[in-house]
Amino acid sequence: MRDVIVFIEHSAGKPRRVSLEIATKAKELAAALGGKTHAVILGKGARAASDAVKAYPVDAIHISEDTEIDAFLVDPQVDYLEAVARAAGPALVLVPNTMAGRDAGSRLAARLGAGLTSDIVDLSVDSGKVNCVSPKLGGLTITTCAFKGEYGVAAIRPNSFKAVPGPGAGDVNELTKPAGKSYKMKIEDEVVEVAGELGVEESSVVVSGGRGLGGPEPFKTILKDLADALGGAVGASRAAVDAGWIPHSHQVGQTGKTISPSLYIAVGISGAIQHKVGMRTAGTIVAINKDAAVPIGEFADLLVVGDLFQIVPELTKAVTSNAAAHT
Amino acid sequence: MKIVVTVKLVPDTTADKRIDPATKRLVRTGETVLNPFDEYAIEAALQLKEKLGAETTVTVVTMAPERGKEVVRKALAMGADDALMLSDPGCEGSDVMGTAYALAGAIAKNGFDLVVCGTQSTDAITGELPGALAEFLGVPGLTYVRKLEIDGTTLRAERETDSGFLKVTTGLPAVVSVTKSINEPRYPSLKGIMGAKKKTIAPLTLAELALEHPIGSGGAKTELVALTDPPARGKGKVVEVSSGAEGAKVIMDFLHAKKLI
Repeated sequence: MRDVIVFIEHSAGKPRRVSLEIATKAKELAAALGGKTHAVILGKGARAASDAVKAYPVDAIHISEDTEIDAFLVDPQVDYLEAVARAAGPALVLVPNTMAGRDAGSRLAARLGAGLTSDIVDLSVDSGKVNCVSPKLGGLTITTCAFKGEYGVAAIRPNSFKAVPGPGAGDVNELTKPAGKSYKMKIEDEVVEVAGELGVEESSVVVSGGRGLGGPEPFKTILKDLADALGGAVGASRAAVDAGWIPHSHQVGQTGKTISPSLYIAVGISGAIQHKVGMRTAGTIVAINKDAAVPIGEFADLLVVGDLFQIVPELTKAVTSNAAAHT
Repeated sequence: MKIVVTVKLVPDTTADKRIDPATKRLVRTGETVLNPFDEYAIEAALQLKEKLGAETTVTVVTMAPERGKEVVRKALAMGADDALMLSDPGCEGSDVMGTAYALAGAIAKNGFDLVVCGTQSTDAITGELPGALAEFLGVPGLTYVRKLEIDGTTLRAERETDSGFLKVTTGLPAVVSVTKSINEPRYPSLKGIMGAKKKTIAPLTLAELALEHPIGSGGAKTELVALTDPPARGKGKVVEVSSGAEGAKVIMDFLHAKKLI
């Protein structure tokens, strides 16, 4: 492995932050491997996104606004990524550990005969080998895996690295359309249910609610208000999702998402093992619960025992006035 | 129509999972259960079969040691018709790519119109098997499906995204992975449990698959170099408050001290 290729996920020309986090880390890895960094940006808005990516330490930016990329799911992306990977030679490919990243990464790895690692929280180079660090078994153990072949694909957990602008050549290269391809997974329509929100996987602050919220309403009101004040996302425990109070895409835990925000606020969540495994690697954990004996008290950095319906709105007010005082 | 459902044996989520320090592999001798996500895949396949009629079959395929049979029986008790079990010592030490490659071999040998997978397993949590499986089978791979319909040879699905969903159509054969939102898995009935004992769990070996590339630890494209314990996460501060404002102040002071706001 020599070069490092980064799959930049973007939304209408705006790169997702996780992509920039990965691009920043890629530079360090490429320097250790003696190679270059490449960013691959695909679909409508790729050119606009390349302007944002140029601020980060990337040597080459490969773009395509081929309309088939947005008309069909995954497969065109894999073809373009494969073309960049084959042209670069033995390479490490980094994708975000998001739905789109895992999709493209898993198919690309199969096509390249590459090793595949996922939910990676740290990367390093040791004697030319790339080591991938990932919590497994719900964070009970931390594994370090190295790639054996010429190519490796790693899916990186959001919030694992800091996105830091830096100098890079940033040469933009327009990719040629792969020849002789036809695609089958046709995107007929996109339905947006929660516009303009970062998902729980990517937000650096997550405010989650559990059984203690008692119904769907508090998720839309007091919890959402606090998340908005903190610039974060709303998460949920399995109990809340299974009760139908909030969609599954918000679920944190073993049968939901595994996340590492810098701040996790658990509201009315007991913190059973099934929930713990999804958020134990958060930077700081604050819990609000009416019961001092809840399991989450054993690993939260702060457990406030009181009435969440009183504390959460007051906290939202305090956060809002604090923010106003600093602008 | 031939529907194949992939299933995996995973350690019981309530059991103590551990890794053997010598072999660096998951100790699988403890309590194992059917991967909870796979129950949604089985249910989705059974619902399709109910709509499509009796000529549709649901076959469960797994890569697991012999003793995994009891877990496979649960899938049969739910209503799957039969099972294929790839039990071969040569599979040991397979990584996700090796597993996908071997399962693709088994599924191709069996024949299929549709493969249904769970979104991920609760032990490895990679969520990457369905995509790799689709690639190895050379068919469309539609992941994170929350609604699934088959109309002739057209598959219509709603695919979850972070902000909502995509409406996607594709042709068969195909691989799909389904999320928890798609259905509520049934419990096996007593009749189902009794009937499952008579259903076939066909053993399969690597020799029968005649795969081109090696799998197992020899074929793995990744190697485990270290295992470490996670940083300890001890008990923090516990503060009882008597009003909302007091609670908010405790949290604000804490967040300020941590420089989080």
